Amino acid sequence: MHVDARALPDGSVIEGDLCLIGAGAAGISIALEWIGSSRTVLLLEGGGFAFEQAMQDLYRGTLGGLPYFPLEAARLHYFGGTTGHWAGFCSTLDPLDFEARPWVPDSGWPITRAELDPFYARAHRLLELGPYEYDAAQWQRRDSRLVPLPLEAGVAWTKMWQFSPPTRFGTRYRAAIEGAPNVWLYTHANVCELRANESASAIDDLRVRTLEGKEHRVRARQYVLACGTIQNARLLLASNARAPAGLGNANDLVGRYFMEHLEMPSGQLLLTAERPQPMSMYSFEFGKTRARGELALAPAMQREHRLLNATVSLTPATLDAPPMSTFEQFPPDSMPSFRGATRPASEAAGAPPNEPAAPPATPVPRLFALLTRQEQAPNRDSRVTLTAERDAMGVPRVELRWQLTALDRRSFRGFYEVLGRELGRRGIGRVRMHDWVLESASPSWPKSLGGGWHHMGTTRMHPNPRQGVVDASCRVHGVANLYVAGAAVYPTAGCANPTLTLVALSLRLSDHLKRLFQDFRGRK
Amino acid sequence: MLFAFPQLQRRLSAPIAIDRRRFLTFGAIVAAGMAASACDGGGDTHALGHPGLLAALGPDAVRNLGQRYRESVPSESDAPRLEAAIRSSRPWTARVGVAHAPLADQVRDDFDAGRTVVVDGWLLSVTEARQCALYSAL
Repeated sequence: MHVDARALPDGSVIEGDLCLIGAGAAGISIALEWIGSSRTVLLLEGGGFAFEQAMQDLYRGTLGGLPYFPLEAARLHYFGGTTGHWAGFCSTLDPLDFEARPWVPDSGWPITRAELDPFYARAHRLLELGPYEYDAAQWQRRDSRLVPLPLEAGVAWTKMWQFSPPTRFGTRYRAAIEGAPNVWLYTHANVCELRANESASAIDDLRVRTLEGKEHRVRARQYVLACGTIQNARLLLASNARAPAGLGNANDLVGRYFMEHLEMPSGQLLLTAERPQPMSMYSFEFGKTRARGELALAPAMQREHRLLNATVSLTPATLDAPPMSTFEQFPPDSMPSFRGATRPASEAAGAPPNEPAAPPATPVPRLFALLTRQEQAPNRDSRVTLTAERDAMGVPRVELRWQLTALDRRSFRGFYEVLGRELGRRGIGRVRMHDWVLESASPSWPKSLGGGWHHMGTTRMHPNPRQGVVDASCRVHGVANLYVAGAAVYPTAGCANPTLTLVALSLRLSDHLKRLFQDFRGRK
Repeated sequence: MLFAFPQLQRRLSAPIAIDRRRFLTFGAIVAAGMAASACDGGGDTHALGHPGLLAALGPDAVRNLGQRYRESVPSESDAPRLEAAIRSSRPWTARVGVAHAPLADQVRDDFDAGRTVVVDGWLLSVTEARQCALYSAL
């Protein structure tokens, strides 16, 4: 069912069992799980079904740290959220990503990769991916052209990626949501405040506004905050009527540990073998490639050299044409150019998904540009805070202070030194590092600094409320009926794009909530 | 971080860590090899000065790499010194009773042992870096 909140009488009260705040990948993934249940699900979306400049402007904020995209350009504010222009890159986090690593401060998840595996498999269906299979050898059995480089397993490996068509949640799942009798989608329903009880131990209701000035109340038994990493923190911090520092922020953690993936052109690979092996395994064509590999370091090497996790993609290149970072490709001062540079959903929908990569060009190229995807080390000082400026709804805007550490910087060089040695030792090729990679002790970052538009952290998961905002079930510490869905809960970022993992975590949260409601029923 | 060749570490912002035990072992073997190489006449200069990188990178790029190396390591700036340096590091193979393994194997051994150097951004084995330098000097 769909209701436009602008059409409701001012002061309406909306009631349900489960309230999902935000209709992006996380919120929609959970809502789909509840279709046909006996519970009434409220799915609140601030925007409508298409891009609206006034809605997008609500995301505007200031940048106080390293250079970053304008915040209003980094996320989409309408039904489907940022899946409206994502590229569909999917891979799992590695088992090591979930472990506490002594050389990575504040690392470690309260759950393991094995616990997440069944949810990854379910997430594959929602994201219209292939089989839940990320072993390079298995992919080679499926397609003999996908030959991984012969690397020593204890040193380096081929990490597999799969590609969603990409699934635009807003178009792909709109009919299912609108047709569900127990799921009520409210568009143009901007949540401006989570109103807590006197002790701030539970949410009583939500204050929802429209741009036209109407204000409604939403009441439910359980609430899930699924607005995206920055907006989740913003809403918690701004909901400070009962808790002056903001909800869930008794330990000054909300908004901290903001993380990105560092996606930066880092060097080149020259294949030196007399007859280089075909590189189809590592090729990619948007809308066609089903799976491809990227090169990564084995856990033993990450431990030995005390490095962050990273992968590197290989793209045929020339010696004198260095590729640009994401920030360089999309000038941050131009919102239209940023949006225009992404592929519209209609084009993607028309492309045949999950076809094998095109046969390799002949002869096999020898030179490849190396684009690194590296996790950002958790950093307490990389954070989102409220500013004095307010948006059209009266909600304080945010400042993002994106900060990196020396570990982030030196890990790039360490990665390529280990990988370069292995490629040389195996007679595969030679690695060339860009100057900024070699300057690993520099405190500054080059102009090629770039991110993947991946926002993570700000409400990190940890069993101890002094070290995390949400617990292992994604419930906000100290608030009985408030959960967070999405990449905001990641304690560490891994090097895989976040969407697959955030959908998997959302499905896990959905199961948890179903068990919770069953328990309620049992107690009646 | 240690580097196999201290003079390179200073001049080339050397890249890779090897542990101290390996470093000392390598130093001892090189010293022994230098003595052995005095009576080692194997391998002509032309062959030593043709790095395997030539096929993949081309002569201009290899010559450029070689010049960069020679500029950065004055103690290995001419052909006789480079030839001697390459020969001196070959006892790795004499140790196992082989007169001379192919240089390609020596290059791989370098990578395996962490005897690498960065020249113009390229992570090279020390042997092939010297070969590039010799190529540029001939």
